[in-house]
Amino acid sequence: MLHFYLAGINNQNFLMRDKETGTWWQQITGKAIYGPMRGSVLELEPSDELSFGEWKQEVTDGKVLAQVPKYVKEYDSNWEPDVAKLPVVVSFPGTELKSRDVVVGLVINGSSRAYPWESIVKQTPVMDRVGGTPLLVAVGPDNKSFRVFISRVDGKDTEFFLKGDEPSASKNEPKSSSPWTLVDSGTASEWNFQGCAVAGPSQGKCLERVPALKDYWFDWRNYHPETTIYKH
Amino acid sequence: MSRSPLSWILFLISALVGFALFFIPAFIIRPFRYQNPLALTWAMALRVRAPWGTLLCFVVCVALALLLWRSATKWGKTLVTLAMFLVTGAAVMSRLNYFEWMFHPVDTPRFDAESDSKLDKNEMILAVRIGQEARAYPISQMAYHHVLNDVVSGVPIAVTY
Repeated sequence: MLHFYLAGINNQNFLMRDKETGTWWQQITGKAIYGPMRGSVLELEPSDELSFGEWKQEVTDGKVLAQVPKYVKEYDSNWEPDVAKLPVVVSFPGTELKSRDVVVGLVINGSSRAYPWESIVKQTPVMDRVGGTPLLVAVGPDNKSFRVFISRVDGKDTEFFLKGDEPSASKNEPKSSSPWTLVDSGTASEWNFQGCAVAGPSQGKCLERVPALKDYWFDWRNYHPETTIYKH
Repeated sequence: MSRSPLSWILFLISALVGFALFFIPAFIIRPFRYQNPLALTWAMALRVRAPWGTLLCFVVCVALALLLWRSATKWGKTLVTLAMFLVTGAAVMSRLNYFEWMFHPVDTPRFDAESDSKLDKNEMILAVRIGQEARAYPISQMAYHHVLNDVVSGVPIAVTY
């Protein structure tokens, strides 16, 4: 068991070392880049970036990291816009995005793709295909949380729509009246933001999750040189 | 200075090497600067060796300073003092993690029950669920601490932001 501490910065992605071996690890990749464990890679534990409100609805008996009183004045709820103003040291001119554009990045079957945050918020749920795998990229009911799933139900590629937005829905029905629900094209079941069917023939089934990282374009592109960019 | 040129040279080299062992990695691994991969490897290699390297330089410098002090001119004494200041500073700094002065770690993480937390519902969190245990790490806190060691359902994890 290793214990990690902040040890430096590498082109604005931090470096950490472990107390036990002194090895240096890169944050974004979890790779040991220098020291006795060089070449090792930490196993990625799946995580979500959610609003507290969304998370509270989903869990029971969850625990929240408490503030350390003496550092409270250092905490910054406005972190993202504040950091967006800071300079960058690596950039990729000629790519379609700006260095500080926020993307959701994922890697599947060796293919990587970046989804501009603004696009997915506007278009959610996004249906896409990467490395031959059908994907569902969804921004939650709070317009802040996101998740990515493999859009297959019982081995069949499936499309998802926001309830009230599906092609068969009556145009007179106001969209906003129903709580956030996805409907699949195959079985017309209703799915929640955790990727599980809560009503209809598929009830009880859950979609397979795909790990995805919210990151700045320059950082994602730096570590995924072959990445493509999602375009609607 | 003319009486023991070899001692002076050794003294100055030790002081310079000691200072460089701290300064070169600190200079390369500094925020808002481009880190070239080769330079970064050198920086990490020096930083790892700096604790004992600077100590060795410090010991050599102290021994030679004692030897040279008596016969040194006023300028020589100034030089010795300055060099001792740098090599001592390097030996101390190579043992301290100044990144943790900027971003303090959480030594023992404490948790609030979800129902007791005063966090606003719009605050973003990193969520982890392992087995029956669910954890939320507020991004406002993680963006400051950057690294947090935790154990969830018996699984040791490093939470980073």
